[in-house]
Order: sequence, then C-alpha cells, then structure tokens
Amino acid sequence: MLIQEEFVKVFLFMGAAISTGVASLSGGFAEGHIAAEATKSMMIQPKASDSILRSMLISQAVTETGAIFGLVISLLLIFGGFTHFGADWARAFSFLGAGLAMGLGCTGPNFGSGYSGAQAMKSIGRVPSQNGRITTNMLIGQALSQTSAIFALVVAFMLLYTVPSQTSVSSLNALILKSCAYLGAGLTIGLGTIGPGAGIGFVAGKANLMLSKYSKSQSLITRTMFLGAAVTESTSIYALVTAFLLIFIS
Amino acid sequence: MDIQSTQVLAQGIAHAAAFVGAGICMGVGSLGPGSGQGYTGGKACESIARAPEHSGLITRTMLIGQAVTESTGIYALVIALLLIFTT
Repeated sequence: MLIQEEFVKVFLFMGAAISTGVASLSGGFAEGHIAAEATKSMMIQPKASDSILRSMLISQAVTETGAIFGLVISLLLIFGGFTHFGADWARAFSFLGAGLAMGLGCTGPNFGSGYSGAQAMKSIGRVPSQNGRITTNMLIGQALSQTSAIFALVVAFMLLYTVPSQTSVSSLNALILKSCAYLGAGLTIGLGTIGPGAGIGFVAGKANLMLSKYSKSQSLITRTMFLGAAVTESTSIYALVTAFLLIFIS
Repeated sequence: MDIQSTQVLAQGIAHAAAFVGAGICMGVGSLGPGSGQGYTGGKACESIARAPEHSGLITRTMLIGQAVTESTGIYALVIALLLIFTT
C-alpha cells in the first residue's frame, strides 16, 4: 500500500530537520563550555597558551563528531534518493525514526564530551606541565562518551537501509504496528543515549579534574574512570538491544 | 477530488513540510551555539576582569573557541537552506 511520494517527503524532511537541529544544539553548547574553560585557563596560565589552545581545539574536534553524525544523516535523508523506491506508512515512519535516533542520540554524548573537555581545560590551567597526560585522559573519556553516539548512528543506518519498502503483510493493523515500532526504535536509542553519554562525560570530567590535583595516583584514577564508564555504558547497550528488537522482531 | 488536484495538494504539503523542517532545524540548532558562545564570552569577560594584562591572549582564545562552536550552527544553516531551496 504505497503512499504518495510527496507524503514520504514530509517524513524525510522532518527527520532531517530533527537530526541536524538537535545534534547541533548539544554540539554547540558543549563546545562553548570547552572554550569558556579554556579561556579561563588562559588567564591563569598565560605562558602555556599554545598547549592550552591545542588541547581546546582537539577536544572541540572530538565533540564535533557528534554534530557531524547528525549532518550526515540529514544529508542522506534529503539527498539519498529514498523516494525512488516507493514507501508505505511504516517505511515513512522509519525515516522519521532515523532522524530522531541521530538527533536525540547525539545529545547526551555531546554534553558528556563537553563536560569532560571543560574539566580537562580547568585542570590544564592548574598544572600546565601535565598537559600531555591530561589531554590523553580527556581524549579517552570523550571517545568513550561518543560510543553511545555511534550506537545511535548504527540504529539510524539500520532504519534507513534495512527496512523494506513495503511490509509483507499490508493489513492496517500490521502497518500501524510497524510504524510505531520504527518510531519507537528511534526514540529508544535517541533518548537512551542521553543518560550514558552525559554520565560517562561526568565520570571522565571528574577524572580529568582530579588528575591535576592528585597527580600521584594517576593510573588508579584512569582505571577507575574506565570501570565507571563501562558500567555506565551498559544502559545504552540495553537501549541498542531494545531498538534492534523493535526493528527486527516486532 | 480528481487525481490532478490531489497531486497538487500533495506537492504543496511536501513543500510546506520542508519549510517547517527548515524552521525546526535552524531554530533548535541555534540554541546550542548561541548558549555556548555566550558562556564563552562571559567567562572571557570574567577572566579579563581578573587579569587585564592578558586581555589580548584571552580575547584571541575566546574568538577561536567561538569560531569552532559556530561550525555546528553552520551545519544547521546548511540543512535549513537545502530544505528551503532544493526541495
């Protein structure tokens, strides 16, 4: 039961808008906080300005990846030629679900990466000689936080490319079921990465801050950071599994 | 309604949805860079107030940080313009 091409476009455009809009929201917010703390560190340690600037740009670049995921999914939705194959209602809702998955799914990781980077800037301002170690720890923390965004990217690609154009059973009940399942998959991973992303960022941020205060127990702090991040990541894996179940088994 | 007017109506709805999407994209997408850049500027003011002799360095860092933060806002602008003009 194909629907008209123009109605499919409504869903494509809405998905694209949410994907970039919400991803840019969190990306801009996070990068702004990183820059703010870097500016304050410049005031405290003007002689270490080059290394502070470098670390700030590196951390902003990693945080940028979340916003770039959103941009990629938006461009795919607008220009990926999805209207050529025809779509029914369930397929149209999968486009909207992909946009929700990527847009909302970058929110938590970006906030987390921003907090991690901001605390790293603060601690470099306290002890600029530890710049190398603090930057390394900060990058590890930001990468751990962005893994939730990669889960969201995977679900968005699944929704875009593994959903059939027409469901095999085209009764009204099946269509409504499938539509809600795809929309729910997008919402699941989208909202499900907010917690873990921000949480891992909080763990990494505090670890970065304490690295400057207590530089003797560095390996212990890093190890605890990994442990805390791994446990926090588990709920985003629950969200990923739920999204897969909704896409494939509903 | 006949096929022709349904087609025209559908095209109008798709076009309208593109405009609404562009509005959502740019509207929501400017919340982030706006608040981030503002926070950066505020911290820069605070820092310059506490250490006015380093104002050149602080201002330079603030501008670089704000420029990088602007890039996510430009992504939202690009998608909004694409939605308006190429659909």
